[in-house]
Amino acid sequence: MDLELSEDEAALRDNVRSVLASICPPAAVRAVYEGKGDPAAVWARMVELDWPGLAVPEQHGGLGMGYVAVALVAEELGRAVVPGPLLATATQFVPLVRELGAESALAGDLLARVAAGELTGTVALAEGGRWEPDAVAANARETADGWALAGTKVAVLDGAGADEVLVVARAPGTAGAEGLGVFAVPRADLAATARTVVDPTLPLADVALDGLVVPAGRVLAAPGAAGVAEALDRAGQEATVALALGTVGACRVVFERTLEYAKVREQYGKPIGSFQALKHRLADMYLAVERATSLGYYAALTIAEDDPQRAVAASMAKAAAGECQRLVAHDGLQLHGGIGVTWENDLHFPVKRAISGDALYGNAVHHRARLARMLGFLPSEKHDGDDPEVVA
Amino acid sequence: MRLTFGDEVEAFRREFQAWLAENRPSAEEMAAEPAVASAHLPGWARAWARRMFDAGWLVPGWPPELGGRHAGPVEVLAYLEELTRAGVPRTTNPQGLGIVAPSILDYGSEEQIHDYAMPVLRGERSACLGMSEPGAGSDLASLSTRAVVDGDSFVINGQKVWTSGAAYADFCFLFCRTDPQAPKHKGISVVLVDMATPGITVRPLAQIARPEHPDLTEVFLSDVVVPRSNLVGRMNDGWAMANGSLAHERGMVWLSGVMMLEQEVAGLRQTAPAALARLAPADRVVVADGLVQSCIDAAAARCLGYRGFAKLVRGGSAPEQALMKAFTSEAGQRLALRSAELGADRTVDIGPTPDSPVTGIERYFGSFGGTISAGSSEIQRNIIAEKVLGLPR
Repeated sequence: MDLELSEDEAALRDNVRSVLASICPPAAVRAVYEGKGDPAAVWARMVELDWPGLAVPEQHGGLGMGYVAVALVAEELGRAVVPGPLLATATQFVPLVRELGAESALAGDLLARVAAGELTGTVALAEGGRWEPDAVAANARETADGWALAGTKVAVLDGAGADEVLVVARAPGTAGAEGLGVFAVPRADLAATARTVVDPTLPLADVALDGLVVPAGRVLAAPGAAGVAEALDRAGQEATVALALGTVGACRVVFERTLEYAKVREQYGKPIGSFQALKHRLADMYLAVERATSLGYYAALTIAEDDPQRAVAASMAKAAAGECQRLVAHDGLQLHGGIGVTWENDLHFPVKRAISGDALYGNAVHHRARLARMLGFLPSEKHDGDDPEVVA
Repeated sequence: MRLTFGDEVEAFRREFQAWLAENRPSAEEMAAEPAVASAHLPGWARAWARRMFDAGWLVPGWPPELGGRHAGPVEVLAYLEELTRAGVPRTTNPQGLGIVAPSILDYGSEEQIHDYAMPVLRGERSACLGMSEPGAGSDLASLSTRAVVDGDSFVINGQKVWTSGAAYADFCFLFCRTDPQAPKHKGISVVLVDMATPGITVRPLAQIARPEHPDLTEVFLSDVVVPRSNLVGRMNDGWAMANGSLAHERGMVWLSGVMMLEQEVAGLRQTAPAALARLAPADRVVVADGLVQSCIDAAAARCLGYRGFAKLVRGGSAPEQALMKAFTSEAGQRLALRSAELGADRTVDIGPTPDSPVTGIERYFGSFGGTISAGSSEIQRNIIAEKVLGLPR
């Protein structure tokens, strides 16, 4: 296993980092946080650079880059606390459309429009704080006018801003991996309620589906069609690992700033970083960041090479990123002393990005619980709509 | 990045697998005469070292005359993986093979190489490493065992402690003070001392885990006379060797930490379901979460180690390698405790019992060897903070 970036991968990472430093400097992040900035300007520059089509297959006009490249970009997006629709579009929307069959006219059209920079998208998956497709309860009933949806989706990234929302719902009376379907719904047709989130660079909305009727031409995968659960799993892994690496990227910035601060801030006549109590905490922060980065790269590789370990690796990466966030965001704030909790210091932007990234697509606790089942420590759960109980 | 190494490495791996299958010591002969300390060479271990040396599989990265085959670092990694996977110890004298012989090859005279290093490689003699003293643990440079030149001899007086395998070793690679006036790092030399020399007393130090098989010892040296030609390298230049020794030790040591962790996790995944099934449902969820965290630790250790290794192979630096010792030993310790706790009340049992599939508390006590020896976890964090992160002393 070779877990170091190749020359091409390192060049891509460096290029993305330098472009982001120019199109999304800390002042632009602050402007978004203070309601004065417009993420659309960042997006417009990305469109000029063809970034929207990063993960879109070449036959649909995209760059057709592999998942390792996507993951490296996601890490940089977190590192620079970048706002805008790229994350949801490239790591959630595109993978699910592609997995559900880019042969269909609808899918081909959606992908081509993303690649052309004309369309942004997202995925409405979670319900009641649960992210696994098995737990989807929203349902879709076929009627004379199309599919009547019912239910509520939560924490949809860019749910109030993306052009197209892929809504995951199931046939009534089905459970688990059976009966799942995916609908491409123009956001204008949805009742989306923006949430008051701590990190405006990852804006979330809850989406009410009741009363929505989706015409037959907007069905990406009809409920019960073959392979939908597998497509949701695979696309979910891509979204999960992108969030894991973005969270780690934000944590790395928090760590680097805290380390720098410990070297320059003096008390008792010397830098506070000379005190052993702080040295050991900084060493532990460094380990947490490297540990999560390494698991993130490994998970990205298992996805890129379609390795059977990818479900376990993705959950481990997301759990490690969440654990990293818990330590690094906390110690970053604590070691900065009072200045770190002031609004005028930029530290809180990556801290908030890391906390938000941990929460999306399942936090560390959620993924550890998934791993407990995947690794055979706990039995699988039943999904009957009630609180899940461990099957004895 | 990619998940597998190239075809050449895999071909090398298969070649070693085939040789190993033909030549490995059998589980039966290893069980009949177990190695009970780190410099103990049972008959099978002597023969095994000789077979590996002759076939060029002892230190594959070295030239054939030193028991190798000019293998590259990735091939050596594959070799070590296969040995671990097969459950065959590479040596029962890790200090001798990993530190003492390489240091003599680097710094010693032709005669010392002939009389000491080569016999260690061929499994004919075993070596211990005389470093720590009662007053010099983490601060090794404060050591006070004295070697005084007397004509053609050194006369040595002092005491070593935590010396692994000294009760079985044929000779000691002994760090001693030869210039008490010089600054502490500049008055240290290394002398080879045959353990049969009059004036040496070895007292085994039983530990809280496996007290019946003490590996650590105290070594008392009272007017021990050794030839002056046993000085390794230059007089008062021993500190370079202390650093060199540890560099040899750290070269691939991260891998054994990773593989030990992975083996223990694999064992846990075998035994855990039955043990978990005996717990009350709510207990089971909490205990399972601990096991998951250990599985993540093991996977992370592998990924972190391999990532640093890949950087080194490409000729770059890999500062994160400094994290591996504290990380793997502490992860192993957490795993040992979780494994014992899987049995609920079984933490009172010393070892596994017939009706409990899990390890007892003994392995947890044993895990402190990893977090204390060869630079404690606290010293490791100081090293990371100062040498890697650049924090001021």
